[in-house]
Amino acid sequence: MDKKRIALDVAKILLNHLPEELPQETIEKIAADVISLIEGQSSDDDLKRRLAVLTVIGRNHSGIVHSFSEILAENNVDIIDINQTIVHGNFAMMMVIDPTDSKVDFLTLKNLLKERGKREDVQVFLQYEDLLKELNRI
Amino acid sequence: MSYSRREILDTIRMTESEHFDVRTVTLGISLFDCGSKNREECARNVAEKIKKYAASLPSAVDEVAEYLGIRVANKRIALTPISLVSTLPQRESYIEIAKEVDNVAGELGFDYVGGFSSLIEAGFTKADYALIDAIPEVLTETKRICSSINAGTTREGLNIDGVIKVASLIKDTAYRTRNHGSVGCAKFVVFANAVSNNPFIAGAFHGIGNPEVVINIGLSGPGVILDAIKRNPLANLRELSEIIKKASYKVTRVGEIVGREVSKKLDIPFGIVDISLAPTPELGDSVGEVLMAMGIETPGAPGTTAALALLTDAVKKGGTMATSQVGGLSGAFIPVSEDAAMIKAAHEGHLSLEKLEAMTAVCSVGLDMVAVPGDVEEDVLAGLIADELSIGIINNKTTAVRIIPVYGKKAGEIVSFGGLLGDAPVQEIKTISPGNFIRRGGHIPPPIVSMKN
Repeated sequence: MDKKRIALDVAKILLNHLPEELPQETIEKIAADVISLIEGQSSDDDLKRRLAVLTVIGRNHSGIVHSFSEILAENNVDIIDINQTIVHGNFAMMMVIDPTDSKVDFLTLKNLLKERGKREDVQVFLQYEDLLKELNRI
Repeated sequence: MSYSRREILDTIRMTESEHFDVRTVTLGISLFDCGSKNREECARNVAEKIKKYAASLPSAVDEVAEYLGIRVANKRIALTPISLVSTLPQRESYIEIAKEVDNVAGELGFDYVGGFSSLIEAGFTKADYALIDAIPEVLTETKRICSSINAGTTREGLNIDGVIKVASLIKDTAYRTRNHGSVGCAKFVVFANAVSNNPFIAGAFHGIGNPEVVINIGLSGPGVILDAIKRNPLANLRELSEIIKKASYKVTRVGEIVGREVSKKLDIPFGIVDISLAPTPELGDSVGEVLMAMGIETPGAPGTTAALALLTDAVKKGGTMATSQVGGLSGAFIPVSEDAAMIKAAHEGHLSLEKLEAMTAVCSVGLDMVAVPGDVEEDVLAGLIADELSIGIINNKTTAVRIIPVYGKKAGEIVSFGGLLGDAPVQEIKTISPGNFIRRGGHIPPPIVSMKN
């Protein structure tokens, strides 16, 4: 890999990871990615590391957050960030997750979460962050 | 949080509740290496080439849609204008190829294939004559094959002999498909200044300057624009233009991402995003409703053309920055039968053919999905087509006619085409004749605006 390519890939990794306030673990992850890249140990998978956004909307009741984070934990999906609020009387939970090391593929994870959504009587949306990034940030 | 609540919830609202979808991912395929003097062999070559490139597209598109959390409504194929593919220039050749392609497209899960097309702006080749002869049968005997003819350009002028032939083939197709509301005509469009990368049916074809294969994206999105306008009832027109631009940016951006991802997945170059607002008959997904939200009582009222001009222009401005390459028709479609508010306006007699014609001077295409009485004279039809194409030729824009003379129906009746094609009120068309003008035949020379070198 030439230097230009490495620089480009580093920039890509930074873009994938960079939230407004950087948590410590994210900084460590970026550093680790960059080091492994420069040492030539990175696989394609590292470069493809994409975050996703899980949104849950519905009537508020106890245990919703636990119910969904349980599925994420079972499948080795890292929660990067979590936020919840009430919109028009509805509960809304938004999570930024990292499904890169997930035990199941993205579509299976999506189905698992949607199934849980039915049980909890809430709407569930899972999407890679691409749309959010591209629609809201110029 | 790396994204604000508002950003996340706005995005979900757009994709979930505003009828937003990517209308079509269209795969353009060059057929220049498929020619053969033997028509069976030519048909086989075309089918094999389609299979080679198109087989993996549907699953790739579905996967990208799931990943991004959006809907993609259709997958389509655009072929090199079939009249340019060398084979024996006989009508049977094109019928044979059409049937073969229809079958392959069905097997692979595509709903329409565009490109049974001729470019006759400057005159006819033997192949053009043969194809035009075959088109009514192709449209009747196949389900998915769409056909188009480019009869004029700003550079070449208008082929009136071609327009006469087109009027005749439309009437023939209407008769052949008379038991189904003359629906065959919905799969045919005649253009002026046709574009070579239009992803939308029925006019899609893979133009001659295109690469071997290419992914083009057609958007939908009137619902998103409608919602943005409704949320700002007090905005003045300058502010409204800004609001539409922002909404258009978002809609177009989604198309750009889908195109990029599908292109990467299939290793096929990404062509263009067509930023046209494409309505569906569903409530809330209508360009007519957008005009009404802007303040027009019903489409067809004085002021409609101005509102449409503002809308089309703002959509273009907002969309341009959101994609690496805008292409296709890009503006706002006003297909009567596919748009709930337009259907209503036409049915109530507020939206005449003449007003629609004026609107096409500022929208992205032309008279689209308009039903007229089945007994319309060929000369009148030819006159209408010549008028519409002249608007495009003089103004250096694409215009088109997709018209259905519904066999056995009179003005005021309703014809139902089903699905995305919707219902159309049969509209009144003037019966006074342009025959002595049209029947002079020949060619209208290119206008002075064509001389730009």
